[in-house]
Amino acid sequence: MKPRVIPAALVLGLLAFIVVAPLAGLLNLGAMPGFESGDLRFWQSAYMRRVLVFSLWQALLSTLCSVLPAILVARAFALQPAFPLRGFLLRLFALPLVVPAVVAVMGVVSVYGSDGWIPFGRSLYGLGGILLAHVFFNLPLAIRLLLPHWQAIPRRHWQLAEQLDMNAWHRWRFLEWPALREGLPGVMLLVFMLCLTSFAVVLTLGGGPRSTTLEVAIYQSLRFDFDPIRAVVLALLQLGLCILVASLTLKLQRLPEVEITVDTSDRTTGPRLRPLQLLLILLAAVYVAMPLLSMLLDALAGPLLKVITRAALWHSVANTLFIGLAAALLSVGAGWFLLRYSAGLALAGQPGRARLIELAGSIVYVVPPLVIGTGMFVLLSPHVDVFSWVYPIVIAVNALMGLPFVIRTLGPALRQNHARYHLLCQSLALTGWHRFRYLEWPLLRRPLGLAMALVAALAMGDLGVIALFGTPNTATVTLLIYQQLGAYLIPDATVTALLLLMLCLTVFWLLERGIGGRLDA
Amino acid sequence: MYLFMRHCYAALLVLLLASGVEAATPTLTVYTYDSFTSDWGPGPKVKQAFEAQCDCKLELVGLEDGVSMLNRLKLEGNNTRADLVLGIDTNLTAEARATGLFEPHGLKMESSSLPQPWDDKVFLPYDYGYFAFVYNREQLKNPPTSLRQLIEDENGPTILVQDPRTSTPGLGLLLWVKKVYGDRSDEAWAKLSPRIITVSKGWSEAYGLFLKNEADMVLSYTTSPAYHIIAEQDQRFAAARFSEGHYQQIEVAGMVRGRQQKNLAREFLQFMLSDRFQRIIPTTNWMYPAALEQASLPQEFAQLIDPSPALLFDDKLVAQQRKKWVDEWLEVMSR
Repeated sequence: MKPRVIPAALVLGLLAFIVVAPLAGLLNLGAMPGFESGDLRFWQSAYMRRVLVFSLWQALLSTLCSVLPAILVARAFALQPAFPLRGFLLRLFALPLVVPAVVAVMGVVSVYGSDGWIPFGRSLYGLGGILLAHVFFNLPLAIRLLLPHWQAIPRRHWQLAEQLDMNAWHRWRFLEWPALREGLPGVMLLVFMLCLTSFAVVLTLGGGPRSTTLEVAIYQSLRFDFDPIRAVVLALLQLGLCILVASLTLKLQRLPEVEITVDTSDRTTGPRLRPLQLLLILLAAVYVAMPLLSMLLDALAGPLLKVITRAALWHSVANTLFIGLAAALLSVGAGWFLLRYSAGLALAGQPGRARLIELAGSIVYVVPPLVIGTGMFVLLSPHVDVFSWVYPIVIAVNALMGLPFVIRTLGPALRQNHARYHLLCQSLALTGWHRFRYLEWPLLRRPLGLAMALVAALAMGDLGVIALFGTPNTATVTLLIYQQLGAYLIPDATVTALLLLMLCLTVFWLLERGIGGRLDA
Repeated sequence: MYLFMRHCYAALLVLLLASGVEAATPTLTVYTYDSFTSDWGPGPKVKQAFEAQCDCKLELVGLEDGVSMLNRLKLEGNNTRADLVLGIDTNLTAEARATGLFEPHGLKMESSSLPQPWDDKVFLPYDYGYFAFVYNREQLKNPPTSLRQLIEDENGPTILVQDPRTSTPGLGLLLWVKKVYGDRSDEAWAKLSPRIITVSKGWSEAYGLFLKNEADMVLSYTTSPAYHIIAEQDQRFAAARFSEGHYQQIEVAGMVRGRQQKNLAREFLQFMLSDRFQRIIPTTNWMYPAALEQASLPQEFAQLIDPSPALLFDDKLVAQQRKKWVDEWLEVMSR
């Protein structure tokens, strides 16, 4: 039984091309006359060593502070399938992901700054502030990504646990933990990558160059020093570090046995209402909602009418929607073929290679968009008019950046589905479109919807490469926010940020609901 | 979906129209920074005024900042679309000249309002400003009166600054301290460091944090209070006058070598120095116009501090030393 290799090979090839070609382009450029490369022996510089240590340390701490509480909260959500506002809270948890970093920093400062609701004073600036902001971004994301793993536990197992009179610890040990082990390492890795590449948050809340990350060093060498070779070497170093961390994390991963059942009802019937679990949910909700609420209050006090009556805003809204949806479609499409191939490998008894494919899809996230974008520019500008290529490039890079999210949301469900039904499909000769239409779509539409929604929202909130290319009229809402912030128009920027959030929330809701169906379990 | 289709059609239409127009009238493409091209920046007004007189199309391409423009030009080399680059500052001019991508403008700067004479053959200035620490008068009653006082008074005000690796004002402060302290700059930074609340990536983050009251003062421009006075009728903000003088930033434009629209580019440079253009600058770019007499400035500008003497390093020296000085700064600030 050979998994279908061609579409996946295409995707992988394209992926490699999108990452490798720009890097090669930059190296080539750096070797041309007129470019001097700085000292590459950065391991000899005390400064670079500090940067490395700090990058890893803050990313590790941020990951632990985000994912460990997320396990508890996701569990509480899973075991409490019905309480008021549950669906709303889950959708709220998708929002921090799309808040542009600089806006989130302002939100965090509004809450924890010296004039804030919970003043931290000067200790906000340093590792503490970085952690606060990173947890704000990643706790809700991790909750959303972990929750489906509880939903994948068949109802019969819960019933069995009840009949055996298992206590909470035993249920955790024998039901929940094994289900979680497939996804947890991947979620941790994703959050780790997000924190490792975090830039504006680290610089602004870090208090100074003591908190410099590798990402900042890459930015510096590509922009201020304009030293392409050093930038590529540092980007590869970051990639290498991530591969190292990934191989360690994924050692933890165990793919659970998949039973061949037709248990389509996945509504969890856990124990009854527990005040402690509701308290956990409440705490997480308050934590996430506070910066968002402060943004809302700021925006409502701002010049609402002036901002929404500007034509430039609506033009950028259209651009943003176009980029977000196109990137989501592309990303989910590419992720689908990659995951199908990986699921096939896993079923054929090659879980190692299956994991490698997924890793390849996720890991490219840590090559900074600035590096990819500049590299693409180097490759394209001699041959084509780059201005007319802005959309394809921005969409491709955003789709690439969305891929790890697709892999995390869609991967486990698709693998289980494949394991359950592949043989059946083969014996029924159910293939291609029919297989998708009658088998995969009904069973996988929820993770598909979540994946689409996440990538669309992510791409809509991304500043990314569009600022790099700069065309006469391709502004996105995020770019508009940065422009307003850069021109004293801070009240306008808060209003625009609120509009962006509402736009993202709507798109998220439409995609998740439209594709995924009702969100009630 | 309907919206997108319409959007796509509109884009297509614009493309078609644009290509149609291009054939008929010449286009002058100018690379600049995106706060210049934004709705509230000088861009739209400049475009309108210039197109009314030149019988051409002015295409303003907004990039992130001066550094991006220069990098972009280096990347594109001879394939560039830019006829003109507007928005490089005096910290970058030496580097820009060294690329050989610019050509002399061949114009005379007649009515300069710069504090110093201008004799650059390649670049012409359109506006300038001075870095300064801005504070809220109601919160900070006794602002420091010199850079030395700010740095050396241990109980002095807390400040927000920008990172010289990523931001123009950040680099400006680095040079300002260098100008005042010379070889002892590292000691100065070490003294100042405990009162720096944070070092932000760009001007916006620091200024935003300042408006949220995170520190007593923020590194910005002497002209910043003018924005609050004119656009917001808010008199609370002021820039602190430092007796050593203020570090200056001059923003310039230059013609790209070997382009077809040479005459049009020169016409634009002339227009840039005319009253039409210069009068747009103060209340859109919030800087001092480089060729406009004092009397023509908005009256509110009279309330701003007198920043003299202007401090400015030779651009070649900055190009030579920048990396070394930034590394030195990193070393002190990372301790």
